[in-house]
Amino acid sequence: MSEQLRTEVRSWLENNVPAGWREAMTGCDQDAFVAAQRDWFFKLVEAGYATPHWPERWPGGGRSLAEQKIIYEEVARADAPRLILYFVALYHAACTLMECGSADQQQRFLPGILKGDVWCQGFSEPNAGSDLASLRTRAERRGDVYVINGQKTWSTMAQYADRCLLLARTSSDGRPQAGITYFLMDMRSKGVSVRPISQITGDDEFAEIFLDDVEIPVEDRVGEEGQGWAVAQATLASERGLTLVELTQRMRHSLGRIGEVMRARGCADDPVLRAAFGRLIPQVHAACALADGYLQKRISGEEVVGDASIVKLYYARTLREFVRLGQQISGLDGQTMEEFTRGGSQETGNWAVDFMNSYNWSIAGGSDEIQRNIIAERMLQMPREPRDWRWQKGA
Amino acid sequence: MSELLTELTDSTRSVLDSLGPGTAEETIWTQVVDLGWLLAGVPESLDGLGLGPAAVCVIQQELGRSLSAARYPAATLVIDALVAAGESPLLERLPLLLTEALATAPLVPPDIEISDDGRLSGTVRAVWSVDRASDILVWTNSDVLLVPTSAGALKARPTWDETRRLFDITFTDVNIDSGWRLAQGAAAETLVCRIETLRDFLLAADAIGGATAALESTVNYLTERKQFGRPLALFQALKHRCADLKAHIAAAEALFADTLNQAESGFGQPQAALLAREAKLLATAAYTEAAEEAVQLHGGIGMTAEHPCHLYLKRAQLNEHLGRRRVSDELELATCQFS
Repeated sequence: MSEQLRTEVRSWLENNVPAGWREAMTGCDQDAFVAAQRDWFFKLVEAGYATPHWPERWPGGGRSLAEQKIIYEEVARADAPRLILYFVALYHAACTLMECGSADQQQRFLPGILKGDVWCQGFSEPNAGSDLASLRTRAERRGDVYVINGQKTWSTMAQYADRCLLLARTSSDGRPQAGITYFLMDMRSKGVSVRPISQITGDDEFAEIFLDDVEIPVEDRVGEEGQGWAVAQATLASERGLTLVELTQRMRHSLGRIGEVMRARGCADDPVLRAAFGRLIPQVHAACALADGYLQKRISGEEVVGDASIVKLYYARTLREFVRLGQQISGLDGQTMEEFTRGGSQETGNWAVDFMNSYNWSIAGGSDEIQRNIIAERMLQMPREPRDWRWQKGA
Repeated sequence: MSELLTELTDSTRSVLDSLGPGTAEETIWTQVVDLGWLLAGVPESLDGLGLGPAAVCVIQQELGRSLSAARYPAATLVIDALVAAGESPLLERLPLLLTEALATAPLVPPDIEISDDGRLSGTVRAVWSVDRASDILVWTNSDVLLVPTSAGALKARPTWDETRRLFDITFTDVNIDSGWRLAQGAAAETLVCRIETLRDFLLAADAIGGATAALESTVNYLTERKQFGRPLALFQALKHRCADLKAHIAAAEALFADTLNQAESGFGQPQAALLAREAKLLATAAYTEAAEEAVQLHGGIGMTAEHPCHLYLKRAQLNEHLGRRRVSDELELATCQFS
């Protein structure tokens, strides 16, 4: 059964991955990237490969986690474009709606996702990053609407989004988590303004969202007031380790690139570079094995808190070493500013940009430091630091 | 891990825990033999348990965890080679090996050669408890032999790792008896590959067991030890180092399980040997890292002979050099990517 699916996906990808997409996406502007993502999205939706994790009543849905893994492995193997623009819609928004949304919300929003609605995430704020629960964007109930005021940041592709998964504070009493409420916000609402953030790579993949007296109808609240934190956990758990299966597999397939560059640049016999390459190989394979093992644990229900942190931390560290080696083997030429490729693996071969982008994985989605806290406190049972603190300069 | 292997882990651990740390080699060896641990990898057709290399590695992981003196890897390599060689007159000796296991094997490639007229010369280094063995497994690229230890000259090899007793054994122009031969030619090549694959997986298992124990000891110490009026474990700088160790050990474990799973169907193929090498490289690196950090994070107490920290450190550092050829593993792995 699973081998049949693998063959099926593989042959579909052979016939459908846009030829020369990598070249087309190198040096293109973001609008061209968005257009290409759209085309690829509709192809995947039509084939049923965009929604294997959706329930069976949806086209392509009802696939087991093991089957979803096969699809991701094949996508990585085929070096197909990553569906970056629709990730929040297909996973975060859809899974949140299915797990926590009302029947009415599901009916209103899920079909739109398959028709290409882009969603973004409005969780982080300038003063609420790792400490997300301290978020300050206010939501005030006025009759049938909530009025939102505040600012969100690091929202991937928000400038192209139709809707936003928004966390806002409805109360300041009790634990900070207890006052948070979850909303589905229309990005075209009056008072929403988006400003792309210029990144160190020259790209602007994420944006700030300013919210100025934005009105959200009560029926677009997910769960009850004050339950937003629990709903957000469902959002963040939605991709269930599949992304890291895909990324680690892509990384494994990219090992060949290192060899190619070393040959092309005539440094294949440099013993220092070779040794670094040799050290990297088992690490890349271990990252794959970790991601794989994690998904197996999810399938068998043996997952424990901290497992996911280990996979993410190890992947982020290994990726950093990978792209660092990429820079080392490309020497001075690697420092030349060159057009970068959008929507591919994290190891595109434009190593300087790959290196800069590798911080996405050590900072976003829970920084390495947060993962280390989770591993130390939840797995190794080491104590949390005290919450109260005093500090005097020079003391 | 399958339920069976989990049970094996638990039962092995409880035996070793009840014996306690620093148990003398012969005491623990009696247990290894009596409890049938040597039978784990032997096929059922030969009255073994038929649990394969995974079970053998599970046992070694626990032995490594307890810093055990038991020469289990050495004995297992001989038993496995005898079984894998198939119908040879030497197979008759299997039952005795399984009950007494008076044979050993080196954990590094033997520096020996066989002359055209069939004479064995050279030194086999770092052999575990060869003074208590009647026979030693040795190999070249084209021959695998089980040689009586009386044919060689023994020399103790004092190593910093005092948990294992190592010797060098030197053969000088020894006339090879045809009854010693386990395999020759292409069959020997396959068998050598198999021996080295199993050896590297066993070394990886030992390293994972030891690294896990070193980290556990460190976390316990940091949790109990108080300075500045609080447990050291409260300091994030120290917690994060432990978290990194945990992640590195978990990665080594994941790679170990995955490579063993891939290799199991083809022990004896060069691909399997390469997989084992990767597993060993990452696991021994995680072990030295965990052991080095253990000494540092235990502070002064980690520098004392009384505390077991230094035993992990020394065993970990020796492990890095066992199973290693003249060329570094890293370079060989890279070379394979180029060919």
